[in-house]
Order: sequence, then structure tokens, then C-alpha cells
Amino acid sequence: MHVPRVVIAASLAAVCTLTACSRKAASSASVPTPAHRYTIATVGKVEGIAWFEDMKKGVQKFAADTGQEAFMQSPAQADGAQQVQIIENLIAQKVDAICVVPFSVEAVEPVLKKARDQGILVIAHEASSAQNADLIIEPFDNAAYGRHLMERLAQEMGGEGDYATFVGSLNSKSHTEWVDAGVAYQREKYPKMHDVADKIEDYEDQNKAYQKMKELLIAHPTLKGVQTSAMGTAAGAGLAVEERGLQKQVAIVGTSLASVSGQYIKSGSVRMISFWDPALAGYAMNKIAVMMLEGQKITAGTNLGLPGYESLVQSKDKPNLFFGSAWIDITKDNLDQYMQ
Amino acid sequence: MTSRVRRLFGRHEMVLLGVTVLLSIVIGALNPAFYSLQNAFDLLKTSVPLGILTIGLLVVLISGGIDISFPAIAVAGMYITCTLAIDVRSLDHLPALLAISTAIGLALGLFNAVLIHFFRLPALIVTLGTASVIRGALLEFVGTRTITNLPPSIIAFSRTNLFEATLANGASAALTVSILFFAGVAIAVALALRYTVIGRGAYAVGADLAAAERVGFNVRRIHLFVYGLMGALAGLVGIIHASIIRNANPLDLDGLELTVIAAAVIGGASITGGRGTVTGALLGVALMVIMDGSLVLVGLPSQWHQVFIGLVVLVSTSITALRTRSARAGEIAR
Repeated sequence: MHVPRVVIAASLAAVCTLTACSRKAASSASVPTPAHRYTIATVGKVEGIAWFEDMKKGVQKFAADTGQEAFMQSPAQADGAQQVQIIENLIAQKVDAICVVPFSVEAVEPVLKKARDQGILVIAHEASSAQNADLIIEPFDNAAYGRHLMERLAQEMGGEGDYATFVGSLNSKSHTEWVDAGVAYQREKYPKMHDVADKIEDYEDQNKAYQKMKELLIAHPTLKGVQTSAMGTAAGAGLAVEERGLQKQVAIVGTSLASVSGQYIKSGSVRMISFWDPALAGYAMNKIAVMMLEGQKITAGTNLGLPGYESLVQSKDKPNLFFGSAWIDITKDNLDQYMQ
Repeated sequence: MTSRVRRLFGRHEMVLLGVTVLLSIVIGALNPAFYSLQNAFDLLKTSVPLGILTIGLLVVLISGGIDISFPAIAVAGMYITCTLAIDVRSLDHLPALLAISTAIGLALGLFNAVLIHFFRLPALIVTLGTASVIRGALLEFVGTRTITNLPPSIIAFSRTNLFEATLANGASAALTVSILFFAGVAIAVALALRYTVIGRGAYAVGADLAAAERVGFNVRRIHLFVYGLMGALAGLVGIIHASIIRNANPLDLDGLELTVIAAAVIGGASITGGRGTVTGALLGVALMVIMDGSLVLVGLPSQWHQVFIGLVVLVSTSITALRTRSARAGEIAR
């Protein structure tokens, strides 16, 4: 079934190219003119979902602020092959830099190598294991973030009982890192908690998450908590818990957005969601790209002038891997300020 | 001839029923919670969208066609209808929304039929193309954001149950009302396939197009009927899907066509046309839903889920194919 995806990717790429062109024409009126105008493409995991729409806003703001030719395009479906196709097209267009949020790091390695071989700067995000990137910027250290989520889940569960974990896909490096760090933290600090189902895959599909959560509630009637990873999972799992009337018994903590999971935070099935602002992440990637294209060095302590990215932390094992400290927690108490 | 063929299907369905029962016994042995009321209700709810689409595709397959655009059509019906209902509050009544989405689906299905019948284009290529166009156009002209504040009538629909019970641990089990749509569609299509000229015609066209034309079946009407029905049912499923997951995501249902085709083929529908029954399709749906919906229940590690699903699909389709082949060999020998 690769044919339809290729067809969709090709038609989408065509549409994106067209809209990118028209945007170029439209936005040349009142923006500052930089010394050198670079073309920087940002590639998300999938088109249309709230997360990457917000990231697109960050990229557009960067373009408006700096006058650089910065745009974003993502695959029509969350699919590694389509993402590779888009990057191939960008290489052919000879952009100056590609900022990428890989669907699967392994899947994009060859095409990122190809880009770098042709002199294109590659900045990666949510891809701490990437080999073929000039620089990897993460909003935070994944292990620290996973422990942070687990600490909250443990508090909600009173430090004991059965819990389960979800990932969007086992290929998703960051999701597995959050979960693994969280589980390791639980084993060390909360021995009375038990991981009854590890890394259930929902394929980043809210409906799948909803169905698997219902199954989980039947398989483990004593379940007290869930740590989720993909954007829609907290909402899908939250719906399942709400339908069962188990908001008081089962706590959901995970990564999501207020616009996606807000109603389930209100109803109490989702206790806390955390996220990093995709708009800021998009802005940060583009900012780093321009700094590097201009020959500046990114080092420990570099200040990007963005909230959570004021003092970058350099990884000990990997000199081109940098972290911000940019996670944001949302609970019932502060939900209102994040709901539009 | 017909009675012989019918007997053969009777046997195929028995085999399928046997496989499904066996699978259920194995799952139930691994986790007795499989037999709980709650699980039964959950599996029934999951089967509604898949089941309605499989019945629609069954009719297309019987007529010798194929359609892979129905997930795109379902999403288009769902997303356009929800967008509309949010802007025009007076439309917010469930029958109206179901009618609009079904009508959108019908129109898109008839468009497929026109391309396939009048331009004599291969159905696979046509529906591949329309699926791409529909999905692309939806993102470009209607919207890209997931609608989480659905029209209240759809939320009310999602909360309407035929039966509700509170279990020992305080959890509730409920049987969704949308199961009635599934039952209605299954019965109506089964009757149409058996007793109407257009239903018999679908079998005739699928078995031998030229012969069907010569004996006087109206092929144009049959093509419009099968693809129109598929589209209309997809539109209906769009609203049901939105009500189940309580949002309308324009990128949703991607890849669903594979599950639906698998369910129909496992159910004994011939991919080359002329054969298939509603009973078989229902059993195919049951097998897919039970299999996909029990992996967490039996505690199978995530990395084995895909392997397991692939194996069951391979085994079931192999049984179907082998039985068909030996039956054909029998016919030729005679």
C-alpha cells in the first residue's frame, strides 16, 4: 500500500510548494531585511495536527521577526517514508538548512546524510539518537522529563498500585526514553508501584489509544495510573476512563496539549499534562540554524533569547546534543490560561 | 449450480465461525475477563464503524469492483458536516447531521461510479486518485485542525446507550445505540443482495460482466448502486466515528481500508467478484475485532501485536483461498 502514500505525498508536496511560494510573495512587504537571506525548511511529523500547526506558527513568527525565508511542511500522514520524500524534495530545492522532527530517526538517517553531504545544515528535534545532524536541540533532557511525569503519577497514585505506559510507536525514540526513565525512577523510588503493561503502542491514533485503554481497564481492574506519550493518547485514554466512570480511581499523566486534552483535565480523568511549546521549539531550531549558518558556535550556556532556552545544556556523551529546560505543566488549576 | 455454491459458502462460514470460536476460547483461557459483559460491549462498539464499512465493501467486491477511497469519504463527510454544524447552529440535530454526511458520502461515491462506469477506468486507480484528492482538498479548503468541541447532538448521540450497568469495581458497562445502525445496514443489504434485481445483478456483473450485460442487467445502474452505497455508508460511518472518539480529525481513519478489505476477504468475499455473503462479512469483522481488541487483554508485548495480527490474517485468508481452489478443482473435475 505504498502507492497511495506516494501519490498523497507528491500532491501534498506540490500544494505545499505552491503555498510556500505564495506566502513568499505575500510576506515580503514589512519584514526586516537580513544581511544574508537563508532558506530554512522545517519538517514536522504530520500535517494538520495541533502540535505541528503551532510549530508552524513559531516558524512563521521567526520568518516575520528576522526576514529569513523560513517555512514548514510535513507529511500528510504520520509516515516515515513520506517524510523522507519531503526531505528529498527539499534537498533538490537546495535549501540552506533543514530543521526536522523525525517520525522515525532510523528512517531519516540516510536522507539526512545526503542533505549534509550536499552542504545543507541539518538541525534535529526530538531525535537525541540522530547521527546525521549538525546539531540536535531538545526542549529538555528526556530522562529528566520522564522522571518528572512519573513523580507526578506516583503522587496521584499515592505511591502504590498498578500502572501502565503508552508510547506512540516503539520507533519513537523520545517516547521510549520518557517511559524507560520514568519506569526506572519508579522502581528505584516507589517499589510498591507495579508496571503491568509496558509501552503499549497506539500508533499516535487517539481512537486506538481509546480502545487499548478500555481493554487495559478490563485486563487490569485494579489499574490506578497511566503515563502517556503521544499527543492524543491522554485524551483517548481520558475518554475511556470517563466513560467507565473511573475518574476517581484512575489517574492519567502524560504529554499532551490543553486544546487536545483540556476537557478531560476538567472532568478529572487526566490529572496533569506536560508539553513544551512547539512554537518555541520551531523558533529555536530556526534561530540555531541561522546562528550556525552565520558561523556562530552553539555552546553550553548559549542564550537563544527564548523562554526555557536561555541557557542551553550540552550533553556529556554527545557534543552536538543540547537541551533547554522548557517543559510546562498543566493541571486543573492552571488549565484556563492555556485554553483558547 | 447456485445451491452447490451456496452450500460451499455455508461450509466456509462454518470454518470461519470455528476459527473465531477457537480464537475466543484461547483468549478466554489466557484471560477470563474476555467473557465479561464490558468486553463484549466494547468489542461490539469497535465493530460498528468497521462492520458498516465492510458490508459496503462486500457489495463492491461482489460486483467485481474495489474501493479504497471510503476512509477518505468517511472523513470528508464527518469533517465537513461537523464544521458546518458548528457554524450553523440550527443544523445541530442528529438526523440532519447524519443525512448531510451520508449525502456527502453518496455524492462522492457516485462520482467514483461515474468515473468507473462511463470512462471505463480501473476501480483501484480511480478510488486511489479520488482518495488523494478528497484528503488533500479537505485539508486545503475545509481545515486542518481537529474539532474537539463537537456539535452537542453528536455528543448526546455518543452518550446514548441501549443498556447500561454498573460493575462491582464501580466501573460502568454500556452498549452503544449505534449498534442499531450496524444491524440495520446488515439486514437491509442481506435482503437486497438476496431478493432484489439490483442485488442479484451485482453478483451477475461480478461473475461475468459481458454475460450479465447480455442477459439484460442494467450495468450502469448496478455500478451507480454499489459505489453510491459504499459512499453513503462511509458518510454515515463518519458521524458514528466522530461520536465514538468525540472529535473530528481531518487526518483520521488512515489505513482503515486495509482492515476492512481484510475483514471482507476473510469473510469469503472474492476479490475478483461474484462471491460473498453478509454472514461471511460479519464473521470476518468479528474475527478482526476480537483479534485486534484482545492483545492487551492477553498481555502480549507490544512488539508482537503486528506479528500476531499479520499471522491471523495470513492463516485465515489462506484457508479461504485453499478452500476456494479445491472447490474449483472439484467443479472442473466434474
